[in-house]
Amino acid sequence: MYSYAIPHLDATIHIALYENVSNSEELLKRIIAASTLEGDEGDIERATLNYAFVDPTLVTSLTQLQTAVYHALLSSSQSNLRTKTVHSEIIYILNPTNNITEALRRFGVSKSTRSLILIRVNERPPHPSIEELETAMNDLVNGEPVELDRLSAVTDWAAVRKVYKLNGDVVLAGVKGDEEKRIVNELVISTVATKSVAA
Amino acid sequence: MSLKILNDSTLIAQGAEALDTTWDVDDTQPKPILLKYRFPKTYRHHSLNASITKQRIGTEARALVRCRKFGVKVPGVRMVDLENGLLGIEWIDGMSVRQILGGEDDVEIEDERVDHLGKFGISQDTLLSLIGTEIAKMHRADIIHGDLTTSNMMLRTRSPSSTSSSQPSSSAELLLIDFGLSSASSMPEDKAVDLYVLERAFSSTHPDSEPLFAQVLDAYGKETGAKWPAIEKRLDEVRMRGRKRSMVG
Repeated sequence: MYSYAIPHLDATIHIALYENVSNSEELLKRIIAASTLEGDEGDIERATLNYAFVDPTLVTSLTQLQTAVYHALLSSSQSNLRTKTVHSEIIYILNPTNNITEALRRFGVSKSTRSLILIRVNERPPHPSIEELETAMNDLVNGEPVELDRLSAVTDWAAVRKVYKLNGDVVLAGVKGDEEKRIVNELVISTVATKSVAA
Repeated sequence: MSLKILNDSTLIAQGAEALDTTWDVDDTQPKPILLKYRFPKTYRHHSLNASITKQRIGTEARALVRCRKFGVKVPGVRMVDLENGLLGIEWIDGMSVRQILGGEDDVEIEDERVDHLGKFGISQDTLLSLIGTEIAKMHRADIIHGDLTTSNMMLRTRSPSSTSSSQPSSSAELLLIDFGLSSASSMPEDKAVDLYVLERAFSSTHPDSEPLFAQVLDAYGKETGAKWPAIEKRLDEVRMRGRKRSMVG
């Protein structure tokens, strides 16, 4: 797990990556059901599932995730959220269009998800300890926790180019291999960062 | 300073419109980002100020992304905070062309100037042609910079990982910065004015600038190709009349 803090927003962030996940369909059902569960049971289930569940297929780097997290936190602190929670806002910001359903379909957990990113944003104290969170995440996900350097290995670069509409870009013409990944990653980060002012 | 994020960052420059600071995104990342803070102008009504600030940050951020997509070397965008007037961009570890060429007022002797170029491993001719080429690429994307000066160009050592085939001969790369006054246009007139502004900047800060700027234009023309004659003709007209178009008639 990767943890860091943003002091001026009083926030701590934890990002974990899992591979060989076998219960994504169950997680998806739980997430959908939790949104309408009533009473204490609903509150407890929502607290248990209080993460952004991101499919890493369209994720090119940790910086891309951190950029989306920062802008989600900003929107939240400025009471400017387009979605219901700071966690769903991360998924909304990752997607280059303004369609929330599309964002969840592309960047959220799906039935067939085999690798999965969990992001926890704590917007105010008390901040749970890393050990507590790790245990809670491991209980939730049936899979193998791996280091975040594995991120670029599970990326579908052709899909990234399509979703972020980079295929017509002059800068990528005839570029291959690591150079292509470097340029795509840079364009993706800038696209995520400029979401709020996109034409 | 009223903004909390600015307390965690380091001031590096202050201008009339904005101030620049660096901020460490997180302790584990080696490179900070550059924050450009368009502070509230107290001489403007606050609601007008808010809308102008938002609009300018949006223009600058979009211009940077568009440049990137067209292969123009510019810093990447890292953060846009419209409410607070903040734009976060990639930190460029390099030196401005003004410093390298040595402005007229800068207290530097000839030998030290040569040293700057030597550090980057390129000749002055190469630097001037990099400038022309990069501006031509920007104009091909129909972006008008609006404030082309040698201070708004930076040279940095090319990272070993980025061995793009476009300019394999050069060990350094030139980046255009500060798109705060940029606009979009495909007209030769606007591109010619952009070049004219740079020509004036060259002649006011660098001694014997004429042959230097001629080299810049030469590279610009080569990169621009078929559209160059129209812009060149326009540039001659702009030189005769100045930056502003005559409003007579």
